[in-house]
Amino acid sequence: MSENRSTTTVNQEARDILLSIRDLTVSFPIRDDEPEIRETILDHVSFDIPRGKVVGVVGESGSGKSMTSLAIMGLLRETARIETGSIDFDGIELVGLDEKTYRGLRGDELSMIFQEPMTSLNPVMKIGPQVEETLQLHTKFSDAEIHKRAREALENVGLEDVDEIINQYPHQLSGGQRQRVMIAQAMVNRPQLLIADEATTALDTIVQARILDLLREIHEKSGVSILFISHDLNVIRRIADEVVVMYHGQVVESGTTSEVLDHPKEAYTKTLVQHAPDVDTLASGHPILRMEHVNIFYDDGFSLFKKREKEQIVKDLTLTMYKGEILGVVGESGSGKSTIAKVLTGLNTCYDGLITFAEDRPQMVFQDPMGSLNPAHKIGWIMTEALRGQKLSRAEKKEKVIAMLHAVGLEESFYDRMPRQLSGGQRQRISIGLCLLTGCGFLIADEAVSALDVTVQSQILELLLDLHKKHGLSILFISHDLNLVRHFCHRVAVLKDGELVECASAEELYRDPKSDYTKALLAASVAKG
Amino acid sequence: MKKWFENFHENWRHLNRKLKIGVVLTVVMLLIALISQFWTPYSTTAMDSSRVMHSPGLLHWMGTDNFGRDVWSRVTAGSGMTYLVAGLTVLIGFVFGVVIGSLTGYFGGWLDEVIMRLNDMLLSFPSVLLALIFISFLGKGTLNIVLALGLLFIPSFARIVRSEMIRYKERDFVRSARILKISPLRIIVFHILPNARVSLLTTAAIGFNNAVLAEASMSYLGLGVQPPTPSLGRMLSESQSYLFNAPWMAIGCGVWIILIILGFSLISDGLKEEGGDEQ
Repeated sequence: MSENRSTTTVNQEARDILLSIRDLTVSFPIRDDEPEIRETILDHVSFDIPRGKVVGVVGESGSGKSMTSLAIMGLLRETARIETGSIDFDGIELVGLDEKTYRGLRGDELSMIFQEPMTSLNPVMKIGPQVEETLQLHTKFSDAEIHKRAREALENVGLEDVDEIINQYPHQLSGGQRQRVMIAQAMVNRPQLLIADEATTALDTIVQARILDLLREIHEKSGVSILFISHDLNVIRRIADEVVVMYHGQVVESGTTSEVLDHPKEAYTKTLVQHAPDVDTLASGHPILRMEHVNIFYDDGFSLFKKREKEQIVKDLTLTMYKGEILGVVGESGSGKSTIAKVLTGLNTCYDGLITFAEDRPQMVFQDPMGSLNPAHKIGWIMTEALRGQKLSRAEKKEKVIAMLHAVGLEESFYDRMPRQLSGGQRQRISIGLCLLTGCGFLIADEAVSALDVTVQSQILELLLDLHKKHGLSILFISHDLNLVRHFCHRVAVLKDGELVECASAEELYRDPKSDYTKALLAASVAKG
Repeated sequence: MKKWFENFHENWRHLNRKLKIGVVLTVVMLLIALISQFWTPYSTTAMDSSRVMHSPGLLHWMGTDNFGRDVWSRVTAGSGMTYLVAGLTVLIGFVFGVVIGSLTGYFGGWLDEVIMRLNDMLLSFPSVLLALIFISFLGKGTLNIVLALGLLFIPSFARIVRSEMIRYKERDFVRSARILKISPLRIIVFHILPNARVSLLTTAAIGFNNAVLAEASMSYLGLGVQPPTPSLGRMLSESQSYLFNAPWMAIGCGVWIILIILGFSLISDGLKEEGGDEQ
């Protein structure tokens, strides 16, 4: 069927257009009881979705982006009226199309994923049958074939344990897993166009990044065109080839992603770009840390009976970190990552070379949440220690500590608890709070989430990101896990045997690693999933 | 600690049996020792030739000795001296041991090496022999015994505290405190020592036992508490000659020493078990 269509579709333009919206105007009644007093929701909207491209639609809420997607899907409310214009989908006029033909298109050629998977998945139906249902409605495959295809679809969206998931209900899955199931369901019929309406908005940053990567991967593999709707410029920048900016039901500007977002022409786009929280470029050019030709040694200390030995751990390291940056340091164990942390925090003084800090020395969050809080004291006492340098009354200190507990997502009652009564994630929150109480804006996280399970891990990363955004926290993030670093850091430095292999922006490093070692590391981390 | 006593009934119930028995035994023994300092059934020093070496009976629960003195009165009063000497000895050993052990353990370096080698030298001599050497310099007497024994107890305490320091100083919570720029002294006293409290208390209890025995042996050798002040060790040594005629003289003292030591041993073992739960 698709072969058939691609031969019949003749485009006058050089570009192969899959969907073309021209002059689309849609109105709604302001109040339901007076159908003739109407408001224009979409105002002469025109844009194209080229075959095999990802088009992002960006705008504030109420800008008409979702309305556009509903118009394409033929899912506008009954009271809505398409006043003018046309939607041409691969030679088929969608405006005024009869419901029966539409139903044939939906879920087959056109498919859609939504913001909250929980509302679009059937809560009383197991995942397997739910995905199969789409196939049963639109194809005439045998049951065995349907079963096979559904499985494949679920495997293609990167779900592990597909056998188990097939027999589970939506509420048994995590948010990320549900979103993957929904993508599998949307992709199972190999549609021409996939509409994703704020599909990653409800997810936390890390899962969001993974889902975006997945969509990009599916897009590249299957060649499906994607209409990606989001209010988040960073998300759009990450996934879209072309961008349509909408405001008050009108298209403000459209073009390729770099054209529109890097060199916006319209005033509205400019403000939109300016106000977007910028994660990809550095907020400031001020270095917070400079290391120049630093050599670090391990000193085994004085002994009467043994020659004092110095072992070189880090060799000739030159690295600059900027204020407000999240810098990842990656390497296998023994590569010298933690040694660097020790030198920066002042725990190890056995180094030569130049290390300059713009502000105070960094504070540090340790790997093992069990060991980093004093087991003999209450949380309140432990946290108050961080305020020792400050001249505050006892009551003021307590107030500050409790405010910090809230800031790291814990309740006041934690003040009187002992560390052993806390979970790993809670302890890590305390550690982070402890560092921030000192008023320090520079944090070293040494494998700070490695000991935690995956859900808690992403919660802690969320907290760090949140604090980074709110307070401009600079974070040196040490990890062996490339997947974590990729979605979390602006730049990544790769270490091998104490030497800096390369340092580049996270995107660049993953897209185009310069050294063989980085390539090998990447390959290994991809294999792990 | 204050909170612990506010909830005394509840908390006491959760302690292990060894600790409970040990504490009760020691408290009773201490009370008896304390009361006997002010009141004993008979005078501890007055001799009575009409009652020489009476066997235990209703009037004299532990019998009388070769001068007709009541053994019970002398044993209980003597145990007071034993507690005092042992307590002071442990106190000296504890205080100096904690200071030396903390500093050497936490800071390390050449001073640590030197002090610990000296420590090893002291530990390699039998303690009674060393105490004899000290006494020969200092002269006899209760105070001197305390000083000599206290000095001898320093190395073993220092060693334990040092090993606790080394155990904890590379732990992340101590590193975290160092990064917070908390002074080394405060780290030692407030961050590390509270964690080492169980092993400190256990060591103190064992040390107390050793001190009781050491005091007894020094007095037995005639170097400690001087007559006629009653002392368990001296009484034991005096009873030796009458072991066949009046065994109750030796038995009374011996049982008392055993009870004192049993109390502390049980406390020490019990503390170890309590600490085990915590970590």
